[in-house]
Amino acid sequence: MSTSLEELQRAFQEFLLGGDATAIRARVTGTERVPADTRLGIYAHAYSARLLEVLADNFPAVHTLLGDEAFAALARAYLDAHPSEFRSIRWFGNRLPAFVGTTGPWKEHPVVAELARFEWLLRDAFDATDAVVIGEAELAALAPEAWPGLRLEFHPSLRRLDLHWSVTAFWQAVENDEDPVAPERAEHPVGWLIWRRDLTQYFRSLEVSEAWALDRAREGANFSDICEGLCEWVDAANVAGYAAGALKRWLADGLLTGLETGD
Amino acid sequence: MPSRPYLGFGLGLRPDHYQAILDSDPPVDWFELLSENYLVPGGKPLHFLDRICERFPVVMHGVSLSVGSTDPLDRDYLADLRTLADRARPHWISDHLCWTGIDQRNLHDLLPLPYTDEAVLHVAGRIREVQARLERPFLIENVSSYVSYQHSLMSEWDFLSAVAEEADCGILLDINNIYVSSVNHEYDPGEYLAGVPVERVWQFHLAGHSDHGDYIIDTHDHPIVDPVWNLYADAVRRFGAVSTMIERDDAIPPLEELLAELDQARRIAAEADPTGDAGKSDMAAP
Ligand SMILES: [Fe+2]
Repeated sequence: MSTSLEELQRAFQEFLLGGDATAIRARVTGTERVPADTRLGIYAHAYSARLLEVLADNFPAVHTLLGDEAFAALARAYLDAHPSEFRSIRWFGNRLPAFVGTTGPWKEHPVVAELARFEWLLRDAFDATDAVVIGEAELAALAPEAWPGLRLEFHPSLRRLDLHWSVTAFWQAVENDEDPVAPERAEHPVGWLIWRRDLTQYFRSLEVSEAWALDRAREGANFSDICEGLCEWVDAANVAGYAAGALKRWLADGLLTGLETGD
Repeated sequence: MPSRPYLGFGLGLRPDHYQAILDSDPPVDWFELLSENYLVPGGKPLHFLDRICERFPVVMHGVSLSVGSTDPLDRDYLADLRTLADRARPHWISDHLCWTGIDQRNLHDLLPLPYTDEAVLHVAGRIREVQARLERPFLIENVSSYVSYQHSLMSEWDFLSAVAEEADCGILLDINNIYVSSVNHEYDPGEYLAGVPVERVWQFHLAGHSDHGDYIIDTHDHPIVDPVWNLYADAVRRFGAVSTMIERDDAIPPLEELLAELDQARRIAAEADPTGDAGKSDMAAP
């Protein structure tokens, strides 16, 4: 049979993606010892096993939450729905959080999507762009009249999410090889912050007011706009001190990479 | 191609060993880094890469070039590789004689090519473009395979050699892959070695595999087995002093274990090479 390179590759790929071996089977040879179907089976197995393994590596807590069997079923469904278009396998799991949030049976359990999202953002923070953070000195050097117009620059590894479920505690237990407690649902979602400092990822929860201020500051609001908005939670007399306190905490956390005074 | 540099005995750089490498300054002549691991925005991978490249000669080894695919070459990938090469300053860059997907899909596997004239011309033309874009020596590596195609017209070694000649590139000869494929396809691995042009082989890979009885799977999760050591000795006899390294990708042991395996490679090379150059580490790094 004459086969162009392109026809051959299409036949092989069709087989790996969809399992239909007809076209490729006609183009490969086997031996008495190892028949052609066994040989093709090695590739089919390797394809799904490799991608399942990388999902298990990237989502260890989702894996623990679901158990081996259910996680393998999820990985197969995800692989069918979103075959990789990434040059590096590192990004293959990119759509898994959205997939479990919108596809049955997982979407009936929103805790799965929250945990997946948390794990993926941690992964994101791991190799996000580097940046030099500022220290106390930069803040101290700021003239008092510069404060109202002050805007902040944040570390590129910073990620924000709101979680209804106690998935961070679950993740931590899995990470520490402890028996995780099933995540519980809080009445109101809690704001969380993920970032990398030096080579380590950190995460912590946020008060509602701090989450609001951080989100506005990341959108480019200046210090006086933020103070005004914070009046919803804080007395007008104390709001500047409160906002400055939050800012100092962000600085101490290593979240700030620049101060912009607009001059 | 320029004449080949000799780097001595190296290891595949793996994140598990980053800290041990920096702390212990191990007797490793050079490292091979997996390009894809460092094509990320920042963080730990690039932090350690910079520190290791300061102290050791390196080469870059990729898995995503898909040089045999009938899709267009991924020029963004080549641009990123070039940027990484400017940072890491590798002696050369390698990838596999295979395809990894078409229609923009990536199957993340090193799939075999048919051994035809069409494939030789296709791959060689693409390697020429890769070399022009990277402006570094480029080596193509033989993969382990489990199927043969009906319309293949030549042996794997004739195919590999024809591609390297036509593209004017170097060869990374994976000794374990030759052994694995020789068992899977029932040919004589010695014939393979004899069919590859000596001056084109710049690097050897050594690795372990999983023996399933009727066939062998290239898993890089075990120590190197005796038949592969024997084939390595044959390869040193034929090719002389070729930069040699061990690949371990799974069940990664402590660094000391790989150093012991690397010493075994040094001993075998020293015994096999009559000129005595192949066992030496100290003529490394041109
Ligand atoms: Fe290899």
